[in-house]
Amino acid sequence: MELLANLFQGFGYLAGVQPIIAIVAGVILGILAGAMPGLSPSMGVALLVPFTYGMSPQIALILLVSIYIAANYGGSITAVTINTPGTPSAVVTSFDGYPLTQQGKAGIGLGISLVSSTVGGIIGTIILIFFSVPLARMAVKLHPAEYFALAIFGLTTVASLGGKNWPKAFLAAMLGLLINTIGIDPISGVKRFTFGTYRLFDGFALIPALIGLFALSEVFTRIEESKLEKDAETKYEKTQWPTLMDYWKLKFTIARSSILGTLIGIFPGAGATIAAFLSYDLAKEFSKEPDTFGKGNPNGVAAAEAANSSSVGGALVPLLALGIPGSASTAVLVGALMIHDLVPGPLLFVERPDIIYSLFAALLIANIVMLGLGLFGARLWVKVTVIPKKILLPAILAISIIGSFSVNYSFFDVATCIGFGIAGWILKKYGYPGAPIVLGMVLGKLAETNFRRAVIMGGYEIFFTRPISLILLILALLSFGIPLYQTSKANKKTKA
Amino acid sequence: MELIKFLGKGTGFMVLLAVLAAILVLVTLLILKSSKRKYAGRIVIPVFFMEIAVLFGIQALGFPDRGDEVGPGVVPGLWLIGIFGFSVLLLIRGLSGKEEEDPPWGKIGKVTVFMVMTILYLFIMQIIGYYLATIIYLIFGMYYLSYRNWRVMLSMTAGWILFSYFAFYRLLYVPLPRGILFEWIFG
Repeated sequence: MELLANLFQGFGYLAGVQPIIAIVAGVILGILAGAMPGLSPSMGVALLVPFTYGMSPQIALILLVSIYIAANYGGSITAVTINTPGTPSAVVTSFDGYPLTQQGKAGIGLGISLVSSTVGGIIGTIILIFFSVPLARMAVKLHPAEYFALAIFGLTTVASLGGKNWPKAFLAAMLGLLINTIGIDPISGVKRFTFGTYRLFDGFALIPALIGLFALSEVFTRIEESKLEKDAETKYEKTQWPTLMDYWKLKFTIARSSILGTLIGIFPGAGATIAAFLSYDLAKEFSKEPDTFGKGNPNGVAAAEAANSSSVGGALVPLLALGIPGSASTAVLVGALMIHDLVPGPLLFVERPDIIYSLFAALLIANIVMLGLGLFGARLWVKVTVIPKKILLPAILAISIIGSFSVNYSFFDVATCIGFGIAGWILKKYGYPGAPIVLGMVLGKLAETNFRRAVIMGGYEIFFTRPISLILLILALLSFGIPLYQTSKANKKTKA
Repeated sequence: MELIKFLGKGTGFMVLLAVLAAILVLVTLLILKSSKRKYAGRIVIPVFFMEIAVLFGIQALGFPDRGDEVGPGVVPGLWLIGIFGFSVLLLIRGLSGKEEEDPPWGKIGKVTVFMVMTILYLFIMQIIGYYLATIIYLIFGMYYLSYRNWRVMLSMTAGWILFSYFAFYRLLYVPLPRGILFEWIFG
């Protein structure tokens, strides 16, 4: 009851012009930051931190979390319309979102991504409000062996992503994992695969790589296939929008993905991208039509978006309950809190409940504001699909270049983007998917550092002696084996 | 171990690169002249990845071992074994005709020109700065894709330049390249 009373007070703090302006401005800026390839949610939040110096702590936090929430959704806009994921987690949204656009159903992709993001964000916030303390305690008690097992479990999504081409998907994932090892080893400090080039000391940045793999490779494919004429373009007039029934049909996918997304978000270092991949995989497993995934199945869009938005609530759990930032964005939020003399952690609940509960209320309202602004904006964003390809393709390249440059203000990142674009185009042509490369790059660090820490702490057998690790590894084995078994069964049926 | 050290850097590394490149060219030529030429891409790509695994594997074996239970080469080694294994599997599938035939090449010349244009854009940007290079790149890009509505081309380019100036340079403080030439002229 005390919690509910505090929450009502939290809503009371928001009853003013300033908090509402902060939420609306945060959501607009967040959507723009998310939609712009190269600007991740954490960068969007970080770039706005200096503007909050003069604000009260409450308003500052409300503005920053609104940006954080909306940026996760914003990434889906360009993923659906031009196959250029604005954020790493939106890569998964593009699997089915972009095929929907190619079928003239950009409105369905955009509508579903918006509603799923909103519902996911709200469910994530509700879990944050009610279970933050026990969940955070559980997450930080996990052993490195269990984190490694979690990363391996995440990797098994490749089996279902690959379908018939599973060896190519696994090869691509291994490439992503290998690319992730380039640079200075975080544990021993040894330079690995740098070939004497100092620019490789930090390895390849993820965002330029994914822009190259998805946006540039798509542009090159379009030019190669010369699908530039008017008849190959989507007609805006023909664009369909989802009906209420369409949303209702996705209720289980959205609910399941939101819960999973929140839980994954709680684990420090896991985050929105892994949540989106795992939820997508789960949605495919539960689907009666798994073959339609990757070809414009709305469940794919809903799973990815609900999961990545709900992971925001999850990521705030260890931050608020224990003061531990679990993601890049929450690390920036810690900095913002400290600027205002606030130390995140259990004491904050006691000393400044006004901050905590107004933040919870702002998270809920920001999701609703995002829904309103998104519904209004979707009618504009869908028009991107009617821009002639002869104009759009050079523009996508220009966006990709500036997006890659903005990550570290480095021409090396731009060259990385172009290199990955060319490689992605060739690999795609021969059936090697780009998504597992991104997954490998995302999971590589989590897998390697925890694998090595676990072995140092307890030897190689530790992965099988700790129950959670063992369960996760068995689950990983099953989720690896079952899709492969189903694929081989389907192949035999086809041959028969 | 001595051989690995030799192949890992300097002259040895260059020799290894040359040998691997020669093998790749030889395999490609052999495949193109054989009955498997319809699967050339399906065969050459796994061979390329096997070579990558060998190249990186030799590097990984040369990482300094400081007596740790899991040294810096262990995990990359695991991924390299995976790359090599899956490449062998794909190579067998390609050679046995279990893979689909290679897809036809489309307008490859057009793609190559566009790639070269993009790489040139990157270089030119460092000389004449972001704004001028982008204007040239966008207009040339649209023109090359046979778009001819100059009014749209110019307004679209101007719109993008203004957007990148206000959104990236002014709002987000991204130091867009000014170009060596302009820095030299204007200081």
